[in-house]
Amino acid sequence: MRVNDVGGMEGFGALSVSESDPPFHADWEAHVHALVSALVRRGVFALDEFRDTIERMPPTDYLETSYYERWFRATTTLLRERGLLSADAPADG
Amino acid sequence: MSEGHHHDGSIAQQVREVEAELEASGIVSAAELEAILDAMRTPADGARVVAHAWVDAAFRERLLGDATAAIEELGYSMHGGVRPQMLVALENTEAVHNVVVCTLCSCYPIALLGPSPPWYKSEAYRSRVVREPRAVLSEFGLELAETVEVRVWDASAETRYLVLPLRPRGTDELAEEHLAALITRNGMIGTASL
Amino acid sequence: MDDRFRTGERVLVSLPDSPGHHRAPRYVRGHVGTVLAVHGRHVLPDDVVARMAEPHVEPVYAVAFAAGALWGAGDHTVTVNLWESYLEPAEEGR
Repeated sequence: MRVNDVGGMEGFGALSVSESDPPFHADWEAHVHALVSALVRRGVFALDEFRDTIERMPPTDYLETSYYERWFRATTTLLRERGLLSADAPADG
Repeated sequence: MSEGHHHDGSIAQQVREVEAELEASGIVSAAELEAILDAMRTPADGARVVAHAWVDAAFRERLLGDATAAIEELGYSMHGGVRPQMLVALENTEAVHNVVVCTLCSCYPIALLGPSPPWYKSEAYRSRVVREPRAVLSEFGLELAETVEVRVWDASAETRYLVLPLRPRGTDELAEEHLAALITRNGMIGTASL
Repeated sequence: MDDRFRTGERVLVSLPDSPGHHRAPRYVRGHVGTVLAVHGRHVLPDDVVARMAEPHVEPVYAVAFAAGALWGAGDHTVTVNLWESYLEPAEEGR
């Protein structure tokens, strides 16, 4: 049972919906999205492995981070596990 | 805190550093990333599919029968991503209202609607709409009659869903491109009526 | 290989709560739903994440559940896409 599996869970409160709702809050979020697309297309990791890496974040971290923060942490985690990254960026574990 | 922005400054810097290292080692290229960003910034116009289905009954039938194939007539494809996906069109009627979610992550018909809005990815939406869709829809300003049957679709695999909204009354005279302008993203997710 | 289940058939989501990556939301596990359609054949994500050399490719079904059965309340349906190995035939009377 993993923290991402929230269907039916109580306590997340009301929705926050605005008039425009652009997909990205900040430019770095779009960059993270593009980076993940490129890495998956190139076969550096599989989409399923990417999802798995988000899901195995410690539940407290998952709930405290924003959507694209999770994406970025999972990306750096996978790249480190594969020995493809040395830069000091947040990761899990 | 999933809507939080508290680390934006440092994260933006970290993302740039990771990009730079991956470009330097040849794992991705700057041109490739820029091309993907450009594509994401181009407004997706899945509304064209809905407008066409409203004016062309034969296309509507093909769309409801096999949406994956039908959208290719209009130049869209479900095969542009990392693996082929299937598209299913969900027809709203006076008696049935459809609404789409992905409770496990954020699966969404990007090929037709572009990157998803923040609320679609929020825990509040993902957790609640499968349990209490009428309450969630009313927070979007959509009050459904009790007689309307609600169908929630959880996109948990390789299927993506497009809601075919009810055509607004009084639009019989409108041309297809003007109809398309009436069709909202939320209408095609099922969290708004038109 | 033929699809194991047919449209209209009642199926039980039988996936145990084992560790790892699975695409069956917990709110349908142990519940019985009705197959609406087959949505193609797809690689089983559980096998991809387990790095199996030859991951299984299985039919994926759209399975509809009544809200009343899932939550004890509600008149809506929830339809979930489920890989074949997540499912068993529902026993009579369930």
